[in-house]
Amino acid sequence: MSADATIPEQELKKPSLLEIALTFASISSTAFGGGQKASIRHQVTNKGWMDSDEFMEGLELAQVLPGPNILNLAIYCGQRTRQLPGAFAAFLGAGIPPFLIVLIAGALYFKYASNPYVHGALRGCAVGALGLTIGNALELTWDERDDWIKIVLLVLTAAVVGWLKMPLLLVLVIFGGVGIVHEFIKSQKKKSVP
Amino acid sequence: MSNVLHVLWVFSQLSVLGFGGGKGIIPQMHREVVEQYQWVTNAQFTQFYTIGKLVPGPTTIFAALIGYAAMPGAPVLGAAVATVGMFVPSSLIMVGSDILWDRFKASPWRAIVAHGLAPAIVGLVWASVYTISRGTAQGLIPYAITALVVVATLRTKLSAPLLIAISGALGMLLLRQ
Repeated sequence: MSADATIPEQELKKPSLLEIALTFASISSTAFGGGQKASIRHQVTNKGWMDSDEFMEGLELAQVLPGPNILNLAIYCGQRTRQLPGAFAAFLGAGIPPFLIVLIAGALYFKYASNPYVHGALRGCAVGALGLTIGNALELTWDERDDWIKIVLLVLTAAVVGWLKMPLLLVLVIFGGVGIVHEFIKSQKKKSVP
Repeated sequence: MSNVLHVLWVFSQLSVLGFGGGKGIIPQMHREVVEQYQWVTNAQFTQFYTIGKLVPGPTTIFAALIGYAAMPGAPVLGAAVATVGMFVPSSLIMVGSDILWDRFKASPWRAIVAHGLAPAIVGLVWASVYTISRGTAQGLIPYAITALVVVATLRTKLSAPLLIAISGALGMLLLRQ
C-alpha cells in the first residue's frame, strides 16, 4: 500500500489506500450537509492529492450524477489518486461511519421511542426536520425564479407527485426531459445571439 | 428472507434515480416502504428521515433504519442490505462515469442536464414536504416550531442538526403525550 515507490507526477502526492479511507471516514463522521464539500476540498487540495481545478471538475460530476454528492465526490477523489482500489477505499471510508452511527441511533430509537420524553423529543425533531425541508424547498425555488417556465415545471412536478402519485422514473423522464429540452433551446438561443 | 431481495430492490432503484443528491426520492420511497410494503408507519418514516438529517453523512443513510425495521428477525442485516442498495448502484455509476469523463469533458451537455433537471428535483422536494408532513404532529405548537425553523433556515446560519436538536428540546417540553 506504499505510494512511495512511484515518482510523483507534477508534484502531486499519491495517498495510500488507508490514508484515503481514513480521510473520508473522518470527514463523513464529523461534517454535515454543505460543510462536507468544503471539508473535502480543503483536505484533498491541502494534502496535494489534486489541484483545485481537478477538484471542481469532480464536484460538478458528483452533482450531476445520482447519489449523495459527498459520497460521489469521495469516490472521485479516491479514483483520481489511486484508481479503482482508491475509489473502493473512499467508498468504505465515506460510507461505514455514517452507517454505524445511524445503526446506533436506530437501536436506541427502537429501545426508547415509547418513553414519553423521548417520544416528545422525536415529535419535536420531526417538525424541525419538516421546517428544514420547507426552508430548503423555498431556497431552491428562489434559485429558479428568473425563468417562469421552470417555475411552472416545478409546480406541475410537485402537483403530479403529491396528488397523482406519479412514479419517480416517469417524473424524471417527462418533467426532467422537458426541463433539459428547455435548457438546450435556451443554450442554442444564447449561441445565435452574440 | 425474501425481504432481503425486496429491500435490496427498493433501494437500488431509488439509488439509480437519486439525482440532485437524492433530494427527490422521498415521495417514491414513502410510497414503497410505507404504502406498498408497510415496513414502517408514516410517523416512523418521518422520524427516520429526521434521524438522517441529524447524523453526519448523507441524509439518505436513513434507508438503513427502514431496512432495520423491514427485517425484525435480522435488523442489522436489513440495515446493511438497505445501505448497500442505497449507495452501491449510484457509486458504480460514478466510477463508470469518471472513466468516461474525459471523453465528455468539453461537452456542454453536463450543464444542460444539471440545470434542466433542477425544476423537476425542486418540485420533488416540495412533494417531499407533503410526504414528511404526513408523519408529523399536528396542532398550533408543532406548526409554530416548523415556522420558526423555516425562518431560521432562511435567515440564520444555524446548522441543520442544531435546529433539529432545538426542535427536539422544545418537543420534549411541549409535545409529550
